Amino acid sequence: MARDPKHDVLFEPIQIGPKTMKNRFYQIPHCNGFGSEKPMNQAYFRAMKAEGGYAAVCTEYCSIHPESDDTHRVSARLWDDGDIKNLGLMCDMLHEHGALAAAELWYGGPHAPCMETRSVPRAPSQIPSDFEHLTYPKEMDKDDIREVQGFYVAAAKRAREAGFDIVYVYGSHSYLPQQFLTPYYNKRTDEYGGSFENRARFWRETIEQVREAVGDDCAICVRMSTDMFMGEAGTQLERDCVPFVQLCDEIVDVWDINVSGISEWGEDATPSRFYESGRLLPWQARIKEVSSKPVLGVGRFTNPDVMVEAINSGKLDIIATCRPSISDPFLPKKIDEGRLDDIRECIGCNICISRWEIGGPPLICTQNATAGEEYRRGWHPERFEPAENADNDVLVVGSGPAGMECAMILGKRGMRRVHLVEAQDDMGGIMRWIPELPGLGEWARVVNYRKIQIDKLRNVEFIPNTELDAQGVKEYGAEIVVIATGGYWATDGLNGATHDTIPGADASQAWQLTPEQIMRDGKPVPGERVLIVDNDGYFMGVSLAEKLASEGKKVTLMTHLGHIAPYMHFTLEAPNQHRKLHQLGVEIVTYQMPTQLEEGKVTSAHVYDEEHLTEWDADAVVLVTQRRSNEALYRELKDSVGIDALREEGITGFYRIGDCEAPRLVADCVFSGHRLAREIDSENPEVPLPFKRERAVVEREAVLTA
Amino acid sequence: MKVVVCVKQIAQLGDEVEFTENERDVDRDFLDFALNEWDSYATEEALQLVERAGEGEVVVVTCGDDDAEEALRRCLAMGADRATRVAVEEQLEPIQVARALAEVVRGESPDLVLCGVQSADSVQAATGVALAELLGLPRVAVVTKVSLGDGVATVYRELEGGLVDVVEVDIPCVLTIQTGINEPRYATLRAIKQAEQKTIDVRERGDLGEPASRVRRMFVPPKGGGAEMLDGSPVEVAQRIKEIVEERLK
Repeated sequence: MARDPKHDVLFEPIQIGPKTMKNRFYQIPHCNGFGSEKPMNQAYFRAMKAEGGYAAVCTEYCSIHPESDDTHRVSARLWDDGDIKNLGLMCDMLHEHGALAAAELWYGGPHAPCMETRSVPRAPSQIPSDFEHLTYPKEMDKDDIREVQGFYVAAAKRAREAGFDIVYVYGSHSYLPQQFLTPYYNKRTDEYGGSFENRARFWRETIEQVREAVGDDCAICVRMSTDMFMGEAGTQLERDCVPFVQLCDEIVDVWDINVSGISEWGEDATPSRFYESGRLLPWQARIKEVSSKPVLGVGRFTNPDVMVEAINSGKLDIIATCRPSISDPFLPKKIDEGRLDDIRECIGCNICISRWEIGGPPLICTQNATAGEEYRRGWHPERFEPAENADNDVLVVGSGPAGMECAMILGKRGMRRVHLVEAQDDMGGIMRWIPELPGLGEWARVVNYRKIQIDKLRNVEFIPNTELDAQGVKEYGAEIVVIATGGYWATDGLNGATHDTIPGADASQAWQLTPEQIMRDGKPVPGERVLIVDNDGYFMGVSLAEKLASEGKKVTLMTHLGHIAPYMHFTLEAPNQHRKLHQLGVEIVTYQMPTQLEEGKVTSAHVYDEEHLTEWDADAVVLVTQRRSNEALYRELKDSVGIDALREEGITGFYRIGDCEAPRLVADCVFSGHRLAREIDSENPEVPLPFKRERAVVEREAVLTA
Repeated sequence: MKVVVCVKQIAQLGDEVEFTENERDVDRDFLDFALNEWDSYATEEALQLVERAGEGEVVVVTCGDDDAEEALRRCLAMGADRATRVAVEEQLEPIQVARALAEVVRGESPDLVLCGVQSADSVQAATGVALAELLGLPRVAVVTKVSLGDGVATVYRELEGGLVDVVEVDIPCVLTIQTGINEPRYATLRAIKQAEQKTIDVRERGDLGEPASRVRRMFVPPKGGGAEMLDGSPVEVAQRIKEIVEERLK
């Protein structure tokens, strides 16, 4: 199909310094867990976005010197010739697709703990990081300032040599240049601290020096946070950022505008739970008013109409996307081809970001199972090889995230017929009711995207309202059977804290409830006082606490952990979630584990002092203790009917996926269904094929003889 | 108890459409094909009536080319007993379809003839009614419930505004079935495979006569000017609409 002319403005070229972007789509710097040390993964991952139509693609934060070492988290690095080669491959592959390559030159100061290099970071003032534990910087004197500026210049030259077209002097997220600009970090009394001119001096000088070094060949980009939401101490839009843009507009080719410091950077990488698309536009628009240079910025844009509006209303020149480009690297191309139905829209769950925060693992995506698998598994998000056993018919039982994904990918791989059979009246499984939790509406995109795709696939048929038993599966007539019957929340309090049930726990009673009983089955929550037992640690316990408190219940949220919902720190949802629960009057109880549930009363013990018992009044108890696989059908087929009997019926492949195998993140359910479908014609589809690993392999003999 | 169900393999438009060179039809390359939705309800109703009667058969009939057999096989997979196709290559008009089907239906001497209210592609709601006329049978259109008595059927007929007319009609008769009357069953993969193996009775066409209408040209409607948004109170908007209409009527 053809592009809708109303989206034409998104495909107009734009000049940034000495370079031209072929359209307005820009992949903002974002982490992927590959850095410079997994160069093949890095290059293939970024190149996919260039293939998908992005006009410019950036590295993640890219360290300029071993003093800026973020280990355990993974950044790119431009420290030496090896890094030039490794990141150079990424540049070459981007250029092959006509995209510009950008490097986000980064010096972290105290936020970079230097756990690998054991260097000492430098900072404007000697105050430990508000983001990382126990990292004290060295306070910079004038020689230090000259030296670090030299690091920027040297790294910019290496970036040019690698083939980068755009070079950043990155400040936002509280990194070094912005530390100088911000009183919270900068307590200096010399000409680099105090007045605006003094606080701006380090950044301006650094931009000047980088421009002098590479400005004829590379566009100079400055990424600035325009509000840290910290009052006087933090960077402020009108006091600091507007004058900074006016001061430096001549020496900057493009502004990358966002908000927030590092310790609450969920205000920038906004979870959909709290913010809609385009939340940063007011700040970006203000900078656009005072700059004569192009302004780019993120806003979790997935809707081309919103992008067009941002450009036509003069708020942005370039549409930068981070998470939407992970969810769908082909976002620009699909808009260009008028295939809006085919866009895999980001759901804003931030599970991608969680992997960076955890430190080390490659990113994952709930919507796009191929994210991060471009090189190591050779998966292309839009291309599917016809299966060698495509003459088989497949039965997928259960249409939750795993079942939907599996049926969709099997359909795209050209299986003769795929029947996706569901006991409920529509597809989605748990993702039919999870999006009804407070703030999670956008998560329904997981279902919507797949529903539309499955509807388009002529070889995939969705069959609702049909609960198959073992006999029904056996006689269904499929050659390949995939069981995806999901999971359920334990009704007896079984949990990972005590590895036992909770005495008295039994969700068949009216005053005890599990999440799906509340959300899916509409089981009423009796009384006023509700105690939620959360041994899960992610979104379910806090979401139910928020929901029930909003409905007027007096909620106590009890966990055996030291924090409620620790995983939400990784997804950047924690600060606002804490705020919300506090404002709703939810009582947070940590380090406590119930030892006995009785109607009206819960007894708990302190996890480090088991003799110390506490009693709590509760009219209702919600059990968010752990999930179990819903494997009854799988077990009956495997154990009672037996694999041999299935063979006799012509069933040659029998698998299970998703929560039915083991409860997991929705992203991992989608991956599980995708992986099986990608490898349905492998020798043993049950076991994942090995992926390519990027690691040094030793030459044993050469080492020993050296 | 014998029920004949007349069904159609309908064309579905994809995202893009191009016309044939003579501009009288949509290019087949841009079409998907499927069993007409109304006909799947008619087939289900027939299966349920025979199941309730405890004996009998369901015969599905269509007219069309080889590809139209896919619709028949879908009905066979649902549980229909036999299928007949009147071989016709070209696109027919409802009265011609009715003529093609009438001969086959008459030969079956059924207790009941079911059609869908209309087909999703041409949406004329004419074939079933025309068929009843040719067969000389009573007919009820847009049926939402059927119960069979001794020599009569009690039938709910859907009217506008949510009204229902309950009528008694002598059988045999022709009923055109509305969607939502039941929940059409799905065919298992095994039933689909078995239906693939069944033989379809293919008949020669008789004299189909002249069509009642002809397609002269298919084209994409030319784009009009932009819309004019009317602001103001309901009275002001109504006044403005009146002026626009009066202007256009001049």
